[in-house]
Amino acid sequence: MDLKAILEHHITDQIWTWFKLGSLNLPFSKHMLMMLIAAALLSVFFPLIIRSRGPALAPFRGMIEMIVLFLRDEVLSPNLGSKTAAYLPYFATLFFFILAMNLIGMAPYGATATGNLAVTGGLALTTFVLINFAGIREQGLISYLGHIVPKGVPFWLYPLLFPIELIGMLTKSFALCIRLFANMIAGHIVILSFIGLIFMFGAVSPALGLGVTAPLAVLLILFVSLLELFVAFLQAYIFTFLTAIFTGASMHPH
Amino acid sequence: MEALIKPEFGLMFWTISIFILLVVLLSRTAWKPLIKTVEERECALRHDREAAEKARAGAEKIKAELDSRLAALKTEIDARLAQSREEGARERDRIIEHAAKNAAALLETARKEMETQKRELAGELRDRVAELALAAAEKVLLKHIDQQANQELVSRFLKELEAKDSKYKL
Repeated sequence: MDLKAILEHHITDQIWTWFKLGSLNLPFSKHMLMMLIAAALLSVFFPLIIRSRGPALAPFRGMIEMIVLFLRDEVLSPNLGSKTAAYLPYFATLFFFILAMNLIGMAPYGATATGNLAVTGGLALTTFVLINFAGIREQGLISYLGHIVPKGVPFWLYPLLFPIELIGMLTKSFALCIRLFANMIAGHIVILSFIGLIFMFGAVSPALGLGVTAPLAVLLILFVSLLELFVAFLQAYIFTFLTAIFTGASMHPH
Repeated sequence: MEALIKPEFGLMFWTISIFILLVVLLSRTAWKPLIKTVEERECALRHDREAAEKARAGAEKIKAELDSRLAALKTEIDARLAQSREEGARERDRIIEHAAKNAAALLETARKEMETQKRELAGELRDRVAELALAAAEKVLLKHIDQQANQELVSRFLKELEAKDSKYKL
């Protein structure tokens, strides 16, 4: 088994069966299962924790509350202004959904659903829809289209700038998709490479592999794992934060 | 490795539908109660703070009022103290003056009385001396024999008188 096969086994999705739904071909895969687990955990435990009044769940309640309030006061309020309350459920769900999928990827036997372009692409697509929806709802369709090109631009530049701005809108979402995907997958690849190093050196000499490379690799893997834990939180925050900024920018064009 | 960068559109569909379902579900079951409790707490906090600020403003007003009243009382006390001190000084001066006048009057009366008594005594003494002289002259006239006999008579009379009463002792 070479490294490519190992990487493919651990990082890429494994499709187990297919569902036919009209013309849609829907897969049931490892990442799909992980996403379902994340969604199930969130939809079962969050209402339980939030509605609980006992002291046993109070720390979890406090953590969730703290994060949601941080999102409300530091992320959404500066960007969305008075519309914060209306969009808060979307952003809170987005943050915790991405975070749950990232963290499940860290658990044994887990897989990182956010390390899949289809998943991050789906999330980015909802963000794209949200940006346009919020902009149109806030300004009206005509005004929204008129404000795609910034004010104060000479008239003859419009034919050039309009396509650029349209592409820019797509790139924002596309960058969101790629950023989350690459960040979540990079740590896994590095960890697998370190494990692979043990076997590479072990093939040269078992003593070298076990005695020298293995302790070093384990230390490095530990370090990268902690880094991944940090990145799991960071990327969930960045995805939410950037979505808020883009939505705010499309709502208030000036 | 193409599977890594080739998005599976079925999975994208799943992602979007699961995410949207989750948004709907969690906003009903989780975020709404969470925001409600948070807002209730924030409202209670704001209310408490407003009440505390109002109470503090009231207390400050009362304190200012008390301070001003205290200051007024202090000035009044000072004024009264100064007034009574002045009155006391005046009263003392008056009493001293009165006493001095009384003493002078008393002294004057005493001196006058002494003067009258002295005069009285002097008059009495003169009368008594005259009386004595007359009595002695009488005896002299009665005996009138010779100078020596008269002398003798007078001294005997004087001795007699001295023995009778020490008042006449010269």
